[in-house]
Amino acid sequence: MKPDPHWYKRAVFYEVLVRGFADSNGDGTGDIRGMTGRLDYLQWLGVDCLWLPPFFASPLRDGGYDVADYCSVLPEYGSIGDFRDFLGAAHERGIRVIIDFVLNHTSDQHPWFQASRSDPSGPYGDFYVWSDKDTGYPDARIIFVDTETSNWTHDPVRNQFYWHRFFGHQPDLNFESPAVQAAIFDSLRFWLDLGIDGFRLDAVPYLFEEEGTNCENLPRTHEFLKRLRRMVDADYPDRLLLCEANQWPADVVQYFGDPETGDECQMAFHFPVMPRLFMGVRRESRFPISEILAQTPAIPPNCQWGIFLRNHDELTLEMVTDEDRDYMWAEYAKDPRMKANIGIRRRLAPLLENDRNQLELFTALLLSLPGSPVLYYGDEIGMGDNIWLGDRDGVRTPMQWTPDRNGGFSTADPQRLHLPVIADAVYGYQAINVEAQMRSTTSLLYWTRRMIEVRKQHPTLALGTLTEVGSRNPTVLSYIREYGDDVVLCVNNLSRFPQPAELDLRRFDGWTPTELTGRVAFPEIGVLPYMFTLAGHGFYWFLLSRSETHQ
Amino acid sequence: MPEQRWYAAKGREVSTVDTTALELSKEPLVELHLVYVGYVDGGTDVFIVPLSRHHDRDEQLDRVLIGELDEDPRWVYDAMRDRRTTPLWLDLFAARHEHKELRFHLEPGAEIPLNLPGDIVSTEQSNSSLVYGDSTILKLFRRLEPGLNPDVEVHDALHSRNNRHVAPLLGFLSIEGDQAKGQEDGTIAMLQTFLPAASDGWSLAVASVRDLYAEGDLHPDEVGGDFASESFRLGEATASVHADLAAVLSTGSFDASQLGGVVAGMNSRLDAALEVVPELAPYADGLRARFAELGELDEPIPVQRVHGDYHLGQVLRTHLGWTILDFEGEPARPLAARRGLDSPIRDIAGMLRSFEYAARHLLVEGHSDPQLEYRANEWAGRNRQAFCDGYANVAGRDPSEQPALVRAFEADKAVYEAVYEARNRPHWLPIPLNSLAKLAQLA
Repeated sequence: MKPDPHWYKRAVFYEVLVRGFADSNGDGTGDIRGMTGRLDYLQWLGVDCLWLPPFFASPLRDGGYDVADYCSVLPEYGSIGDFRDFLGAAHERGIRVIIDFVLNHTSDQHPWFQASRSDPSGPYGDFYVWSDKDTGYPDARIIFVDTETSNWTHDPVRNQFYWHRFFGHQPDLNFESPAVQAAIFDSLRFWLDLGIDGFRLDAVPYLFEEEGTNCENLPRTHEFLKRLRRMVDADYPDRLLLCEANQWPADVVQYFGDPETGDECQMAFHFPVMPRLFMGVRRESRFPISEILAQTPAIPPNCQWGIFLRNHDELTLEMVTDEDRDYMWAEYAKDPRMKANIGIRRRLAPLLENDRNQLELFTALLLSLPGSPVLYYGDEIGMGDNIWLGDRDGVRTPMQWTPDRNGGFSTADPQRLHLPVIADAVYGYQAINVEAQMRSTTSLLYWTRRMIEVRKQHPTLALGTLTEVGSRNPTVLSYIREYGDDVVLCVNNLSRFPQPAELDLRRFDGWTPTELTGRVAFPEIGVLPYMFTLAGHGFYWFLLSRSETHQ
Repeated sequence: MPEQRWYAAKGREVSTVDTTALELSKEPLVELHLVYVGYVDGGTDVFIVPLSRHHDRDEQLDRVLIGELDEDPRWVYDAMRDRRTTPLWLDLFAARHEHKELRFHLEPGAEIPLNLPGDIVSTEQSNSSLVYGDSTILKLFRRLEPGLNPDVEVHDALHSRNNRHVAPLLGFLSIEGDQAKGQEDGTIAMLQTFLPAASDGWSLAVASVRDLYAEGDLHPDEVGGDFASESFRLGEATASVHADLAAVLSTGSFDASQLGGVVAGMNSRLDAALEVVPELAPYADGLRARFAELGELDEPIPVQRVHGDYHLGQVLRTHLGWTILDFEGEPARPLAARRGLDSPIRDIAGMLRSFEYAARHLLVEGHSDPQLEYRANEWAGRNRQAFCDGYANVAGRDPSEQPALVRAFEADKAVYEAVYEARNRPHWLPIPLNSLAKLAQLA
């Protein structure tokens, strides 16, 4: 890999679940070698960095986020050796790899917890947050409101309560203990030494607890992150810390650290953008999106937002108002089974009723709004979901590679698959698969690849400033991305009906818009409103450049 | 001049025309022409026409060339569309320029861009505006009347309130009245903060209605484009601006005899309308009953300065929320009347009427059927209620709990609309008629 301290600011990310991508040994479960075998595909698509959710030893009661050993690979997925080979093969193709790291808690099966509960005075006795009462920290909200009734659970072995912000089987680590901090640093170094390019740090806001607070975003959590960043910068150049803090952007910015130097995480997810995109299109109004863009604070120069349409979790609705949440549920989760926690468990294509125009519009927004886009495996071909699977598994079904058995994911007996392949008439692997879409240059897959390519030709789409452009038409969202001479105008019709847009482009009097996918030059911009007509859910990307005659 | 959209005397026969020129700048020469138009039927109007004159013909400006004079500078252009001279206006404001009767006022602390050409806004009717960059807008009032323009007066008064639902005033240009005749100063132009990337309420509401009509089987609260939350927030914004208007400008109350005057005015407007729109006849008795209910109120009604011409086209949605524009009042009414006190319910009724228009205008433009009619009623009902709820949320009193007031003002407004539609857009007449039929039947 070429050294580049800010690679993540321009990268296109791709989230891939080891379990669901490709099975190399025919046991019905995806594995690391299987993923290695599909790297050519990811390179062809234009992916710069893979994000792997947890693949560590785990009882798998929370999709692997319940880690039982930080420095291991779940045997079903392969070995550390397999992972080293995978990393080398990815780097050979110019693809970086970041992995999930769950700082806040472990599985109750982790040896640290087993030692802590059985030997309170031993070396691991204070590794978790223990208490004789279950009344501490009453102001901390319960995150998984549909399954948990308290943040405390009684442990019969130690006869005390332990603290957990997520599931009862995931006790929170006690970050006040220097030994815990040291053990976590050792685990992080293990992976950094193997050569990974960074971490997505899971559930960051909850590391510390303090009475009288909601136990989120506490100063000591930031002190810890700054120490972590110093360690990484000192010994491991070009590595990324990506923070998962499901909060409003104004609160998330604190995880970038100092506003000038950005001394905590280089990236953080911008959670509210995604539900607002869905709302904007459903309401046929740009204002839900304009509002959140205007509310997004400035970030340190070395930092970047991560934005996404869908991921392995439900479509999170914590970052919308109650009124908006009711609305989103009513609109997008028509069946009660589509709801989980405070979100919606659907993939992108079914959420958009498999409407190709909307799929393209949403992807174009993802690739042109400020931030590094994170694609979710399978969405590039328009995969479906299975809402009848438990928990969040409905959006974690096997990748559909071919129309063959198991969608080409595995040679196992179909009954042995960890999750069934989608097989319905619309989204099933016989209709939706990589092989078929690679044969057709008009497929969603080819289209996505082309747009990623266009994005990479214009650094402004990654690095530029954003200015919304006025238009009387409330259904058209237009903005200018500007980075030096690289000026791109994006015009998006959020309505299902064709719409006109008269844009105030006086600032670019004498410039020419050139459409970015076909390179067709449009009439020169003047001081009068510039008129576009857009098809229903249509969009344009234009390069703006000074006209020849004006140079 | 009669071909200009702002020329308010279309169809009236002109007897005399007289012009005075006031110089704004020498080089380039820009003059403010006051055109005194006398009419055969009596009365006069004063129109404001800024012209620029150049020594050489500028082909880029041919579109706005007005004519050629015998004297130099000989080429005369419409100064509002002459990008070479539009920067001048802001320079004069920045210098707080004074010349003869003209006085450029700049609000304390106002920041305005300099050396930037302004461009004309193409959608306006009675006035002409120049937009400078994305920060400042200059509105030129085309018809000069003695007295402070209410738009300037209201924005100036609201300055101290920092109400986030109005666009801050930056300055205004006044002209001294004839003191010998005891005439007040007139207002020529107003400088205000421009709101970039905004959409007017009408466009937003119509997008919502269009979305509803595309879904035959869904109700307004079920479709994606539901507008009720916007209407609610618009109600809140309206109540907030009303409260500030009452706080900084004069207030009062109408007693029984003044209410009687209001009712008499409504009745006489109805009489006049019946002459123009015979379709109103079946509803006349019912409407008079509505007006009478207003006169029968036993408590005095509070009055204050209001917007006066309030509808969805007068509100802008930005990413920060709703902004209320244009406190000029109904342009056809004399200035003194527009600066008078009125019930805030007048504005609320105006907006409620606007919801009816938004719900129904697609029906009169395209084909209608009973099901869409039903949807239109649902949409209007839902958004009227949401607007009133939002208003009540801020004002502490729900306007829909004063049905006599709301109905009378709505009926009065709809009568005015019926006349306007019969004269200008007869195929839109069913919109006010439909509402008047309902208002007349209410017991």
